[in-house]
Amino acid sequence: MSDADNREEIIQYVPFISFVHPSFWHTLTEIKLNIDKLNETSKPIYGRFTYRDDIGAVFEVDGTSFNKVPETEHLYTSVKGTIINKNTVEEFKSIDKAALLNSVGKTIWENLKEGTWIDKPSSLLNFFIFSFADLKKFHYFYWFAFPAPSQPTVYLTRKGSCITSAFTNKQLEDLAQSYKALDDEQKCFFSIIKENDTIQVQTLAQFLRQTECHLAINAVYFVFQDPSNGVNPGWALRVFLAALLDYCPTLIGCNINVIGLRCNIFGGVENSCIFSVKIPVDVTKSDAAGWVGWERNDKGNFGPKLANMSASLDPVVLADTSSDLNIKLMKWRLVPDIDIEVMKKTKCLLLGAGTLGCQVARDLLAWGFRHITFLDNGKVSYSNPTRQVLYTHEDCLNGGKKKAEAAADNLRRILPSVVTKGIVAHIPMPGHPVGESLREETLRNIKIITEAIEEHDVIFLLLDSREARWLPTALGASYKKIVINAALGFDSYVVMRHGAADGSSTAGSAYTNAKWISGGDLGCYFCNDVTVPGNSLQDRTLDQQCTVTRPGLAAIAGALAVEILVAILQHPQRELAPAPYNLSDEGESIPGLEGVLGPVPHAIRGFLHSYQTMLPTCPKFNQCVACSVIILNNYMAEGSEFLLKVFNSGKYLDDLTGLSQWRLNAEMTEVLTLTDDDEETSDI
Amino acid sequence: MNSAIELEEFLHAAQEFVKKSDEIGDGWSIKECGDDKSKTFLKKDLYVEHTDDNNSILLKMEYIIFYNLSYGVPAFSFNIWNSSGTLLSLEDVRKMSFIQISQKDFYSVITQQEHPVFQRPYFIVHPCHTEELLATFKNKSQNIIVTFLGLITPLVKLDLPLKYGL
Repeated sequence: MSDADNREEIIQYVPFISFVHPSFWHTLTEIKLNIDKLNETSKPIYGRFTYRDDIGAVFEVDGTSFNKVPETEHLYTSVKGTIINKNTVEEFKSIDKAALLNSVGKTIWENLKEGTWIDKPSSLLNFFIFSFADLKKFHYFYWFAFPAPSQPTVYLTRKGSCITSAFTNKQLEDLAQSYKALDDEQKCFFSIIKENDTIQVQTLAQFLRQTECHLAINAVYFVFQDPSNGVNPGWALRVFLAALLDYCPTLIGCNINVIGLRCNIFGGVENSCIFSVKIPVDVTKSDAAGWVGWERNDKGNFGPKLANMSASLDPVVLADTSSDLNIKLMKWRLVPDIDIEVMKKTKCLLLGAGTLGCQVARDLLAWGFRHITFLDNGKVSYSNPTRQVLYTHEDCLNGGKKKAEAAADNLRRILPSVVTKGIVAHIPMPGHPVGESLREETLRNIKIITEAIEEHDVIFLLLDSREARWLPTALGASYKKIVINAALGFDSYVVMRHGAADGSSTAGSAYTNAKWISGGDLGCYFCNDVTVPGNSLQDRTLDQQCTVTRPGLAAIAGALAVEILVAILQHPQRELAPAPYNLSDEGESIPGLEGVLGPVPHAIRGFLHSYQTMLPTCPKFNQCVACSVIILNNYMAEGSEFLLKVFNSGKYLDDLTGLSQWRLNAEMTEVLTLTDDDEETSDI
Repeated sequence: MNSAIELEEFLHAAQEFVKKSDEIGDGWSIKECGDDKSKTFLKKDLYVEHTDDNNSILLKMEYIIFYNLSYGVPAFSFNIWNSSGTLLSLEDVRKMSFIQISQKDFYSVITQQEHPVFQRPYFIVHPCHTEELLATFKNKSQNIIVTFLGLITPLVKLDLPLKYGL
């Protein structure tokens, strides 16, 4: 043996590494919320460590740690401990940690003095957890301590050496057998007497109380289950030595043999370690000494650790990730090119929170949209909840909640992580004159609506009248937003995307014989109309009061409105995606027609009466009363003043766009055509 | 669709599998969850030293084999956490060396979801192809769990000792 091996060194105990099973936090949370509540008295718990030769000095707690009887695991030793869980972070921080450890130590030492540990050596082992659980964030601050007296200080005369250097195979087999036969609570600490070729395993009680002291000390081996698997002994030895010295002061000044028992998975002990421990004559007694054993944190300092369990415990986070998962599964399993993030980022403004608004909001949520704002002026009435799928009876009581706000509240109840709000505002309409008395309020509404449109990426027009769509159509075009429009008749509906604002202004004629129209050149809701909005209650099938539609329509049209938006967002050209004239012609050399989710139609018109759907595609109309250049230019130049002029007189739009003249010309053509036809007919 | 494994067969195979595991020291144990037999599961846990950016951290890994009632097949799930009990994310897991799945296929094979037995998030290997694959081996296989793990190991490296097959 070299000198280096023989040099005396102060013994270094390998500290425990606490290792927490996720289920520990689940159970702690459950107990805190349902049983303990504000009660912060300390609770008994169990932990365990292993003396397997292939695992380091980990000390584990899990969900079963709170059980009355510990769960046993092969080659693990259960340790009784305590958890002190504080209610506030202030209490957690302000407690004097050294004093806490010393007071725990004092109790341990008093029990130890009574000598019960000799009959029940497992009682020497101890631990506690000092913690604070922030159950709003699911952050757990915790600090493990494995209390042991700081004294006595003893020396290793030799680093740990393998047990095979002193024991024969036969002796090791005997040791393994006798060890197995011991009671569980005797297994942690016991002794071996080795005489010649035989060994005898004795419990501490047998050895310390009954064995006569004529034995040579070098025939005695004190054994402990060793959590360490390195050259130094594990932490469990520390308190054992303190107890031994306290009980047998005769050991002072001696060299004693200690075995760190380390088992392989089959129970073999040949990897156990022998330590030669020298107890100096001037050793300090444990009694007056302080206690040590706080665990160091990941930075190597004495301080608490943090477990951030929000991803696996916070129900809000769980709901968010689980609903995301549905969309991700689409990507992973079926549509690898789909962009999930774009839905999360896109901010949707829903104008109208009625049958259509409710339906659209739910479908947006299902598609992974997380920014949804409602704008509506109405209140929830008793007739609403059966058709407007976000509301319940409670929302109607006491005069009814504001729809926009109730819709946002209820959407949050479906998915708490959604970013949603309700804006209460009335949408001013053309041909609804604004007198002096309403001027202020109208201007305020214009401001609210304009700001809301500016803040969002997509504007859904889900209103129950045609004229209410005029302002958002014009503003949507001005601020270059994606505008999706849905309108219901009694048994027919239309869902359409408005042409993107960046299109050419002279589109109409260029598309006479085309197979498709660029997304920039598509018409808006008003482009196909030659009348100014203002009289929607007369002779119209669409945009009458929503409540006189077949109830299934809103679900169909709402779903299509969301699907058309998703198709746009998933198209490489986004809102500029071309719309084919005839979808069945797809693939016929239409450049960039197909998006990730297929081609994007301009409009979908459905007729429930005949269960048929049409996909009309129409270019922009140069004299459109809502999206034509002249309207946008006037709005740009005059702003709210221009809007007020429109509201005050429907005829203003007619004259501005030249529609009245255009209509006059059209009527003339019609008259001439009819005359021709009449002549032809009369010819036959 | 008759190739599904009955619960009784699963339970029997699980018992036999654990016996074998005990003999060869592979560390699997069988656990019950309340009175519901269909929630019986096999469990093995182990510590792994994980090194990235020159930092070495100790992680604990847990493998769970449970019975998937709706597919009628054994299902494989696992979790990995650090010393504080914080689970590794799906992305972290994908990058670990025991995962033998290409990045392209990874997400369609493994998803993180609430575990049917524990009601906590676990990584679960999707069982959609298990049945047909097992059907191929069913009559030749001595133990359906061993065969099942044989299907899993190309995806998640488990070090399945050859002794199981003997």
